[in-house]
Amino acid sequence: MIFQIENVLIFGTVQGSVLALLALGFSLVFGVGGVLNLGHGAFYLITCYVFYLIWRVLFFDLIISIILSLIIAIIVGGVVYLALIKPLQDSHIGIVIVTFAFAVFMQEFVKVIAGIKPHYISPFIFGSVEFLGVTFPIQFVFVIIGSLILVFLVGLFISKTKIGKSIRAVSQDREAALLMGINADRILMITVMISAFLAGMAAILYAPTSAITIDMGWSFLLSAFAVSVFGGMGSTSGCVLGAFIMGYAKTFCSVFISPTLATVFPLLVIVVMLLVRPQGLLGKKEV
Amino acid sequence: MPKKIRSKVSNTVSGTKNFFLGIPRATRNLYKEIPHQVKSFKEWIFTFRGSLTILCLIGTILVPLITMDDYIMTILISFLVFSIFAASWDLLAGYTGQVSFGHSVFFGIGAYVAAAFVKMAGLPWFFSMIIGAVAAILVGLIIGIPCLRLKGPYLALGTQAFSLILFNLFMSGELKDILGSTEGISALPAMSEAHIVTFFFILIIMVISFIILTIIVKSNIGTIFKAIRDDETAADASGINTTKYKLIAFMISGFFAGIAGGLFALNSRAVNPSVFLALYSFYAIVMVALGGIATISGSVVGAFIYWVILTELFKPMGALGTIFLYFPTLISALILIIMIRFADQGILKPALEHIREFYDFLLGR
Repeated sequence: MIFQIENVLIFGTVQGSVLALLALGFSLVFGVGGVLNLGHGAFYLITCYVFYLIWRVLFFDLIISIILSLIIAIIVGGVVYLALIKPLQDSHIGIVIVTFAFAVFMQEFVKVIAGIKPHYISPFIFGSVEFLGVTFPIQFVFVIIGSLILVFLVGLFISKTKIGKSIRAVSQDREAALLMGINADRILMITVMISAFLAGMAAILYAPTSAITIDMGWSFLLSAFAVSVFGGMGSTSGCVLGAFIMGYAKTFCSVFISPTLATVFPLLVIVVMLLVRPQGLLGKKEV
Repeated sequence: MPKKIRSKVSNTVSGTKNFFLGIPRATRNLYKEIPHQVKSFKEWIFTFRGSLTILCLIGTILVPLITMDDYIMTILISFLVFSIFAASWDLLAGYTGQVSFGHSVFFGIGAYVAAAFVKMAGLPWFFSMIIGAVAAILVGLIIGIPCLRLKGPYLALGTQAFSLILFNLFMSGELKDILGSTEGISALPAMSEAHIVTFFFILIIMVISFIILTIIVKSNIGTIFKAIRDDETAADASGINTTKYKLIAFMISGFFAGIAGGLFALNSRAVNPSVFLALYSFYAIVMVALGGIATISGSVVGAFIYWVILTELFKPMGALGTIFLYFPTLISALILIIMIRFADQGILKPALEHIREFYDFLLGR
């Protein structure tokens, strides 16, 4: 029993860290632009495959391949903003359909390039760690530490730097921010790029622990959406809190109840949360 | 007060006049309008659009009669089935404005229930298909009630969550005994001995579905749907019970998507959890966007472009490498982006205008 609880603690932390990275970007984009980006899962997907391609197929150095794949993720984010989100900014449903099409496009594109078979990215360092009597791969340590550092850095970025302050300004009141001379379009582009960067980071840290498949983007997208809805759309602190609660709850389900329920859990959270408290745990925005 | 007048007054006050057996009058009027529709149908045949539609229909009937080729029939059958599916999405998204990304739920439930009834209970395919569609209506009700509180993008993602829930449930190994896991239901009996008979059954069902959908869209209830789409608050203010009509839209749409799903399963004689994937919702969206949003007949054009032209264009290349088989979806995703971005009218309306000019030119007008 105690062993299982320790399991839940450790694997829940890992899940929570990954979800925090994914949901943070998704929620930021929503907060700043009021845009639901269905291509968010695709950012994760392509970073995985690009990372696999650069590191495992072209045999680049680990650090170089990480940097290259992150750069590609950020470029894709920028392109998505410029080509898809910006021209359709007036129609929210247009953006949703177009980003959905982008996600399908990326999935099919990866299918064409890499085939439908799952691929395996090996961990950065092989080996395992024992903590509290639970043995787990070293990669999980990277996930937890990397995620905590990134979340901290993003928080710092948003609260301290000039761009971060503009991000907050635009998300609070777009009109007023425009009147203050903030280029809201540019801020939204930077936010989409940050979200792509965070999703890419999540991919690089977490993907080496399991197989990568072409259809995994959807479940990550919906997890990010579930966490954002749970924590409150557009609220950064709510997002991180929600991610960890969701991570623990998910692991708890899969250890004590059933793995099927664990995969369905985030989706149930979306439905229940939207019904009971649409603004989320810490959110203020009207849905 | 005399009895007659009092009853009249109470009727108007309580508003019972607008209801019949709990069904809103607008729904009831649907049946009343049918004779009128039939009358206008005769006139409609001789109009430009009518004659074009009849020509296309005759063409579709003639193709299998001329070639008798099984392969061509398979292509045409998937085109017919998916055009029903696309039209059902169009009713929900294009006319009522409830953009759902989980339309594969209705499709999948229709497919699974129809397959189960054919396989387990040994019912004839037509009844299983109807039962599947009714099950899809119930699912539409179940999904519709929580999703009614959501708007726009939230609705889209919320419905997609439903489709992923069902996908995971049907995929899971724990529920294998009930839901069949990855194998799904296979080895269904064929719909009929000859391919050509199946084709005509499906064609008849498709034509009837389209007639019903067109009648719905043109009737009172269709106007209410459009009112909800254009301005929900205004519709509410003018006394329309938006909740009820949105639910009705979900149910009607679910019914036809369920029919499409049932036909899909019965025709391919197997069904597996992949019918719940986002890909199937994507098919519906791309076909409608190709044909033109909020034109029921546009779905046929979209389905034709996707299932006949795009798919067949890349099939010969499949011999060069399997990757070409993935190209239709890849390219249609690109097309969808371009359509939404530059031509949200779709293909049907502009094409019709051009054909009309040509038609007028031929007639020397």
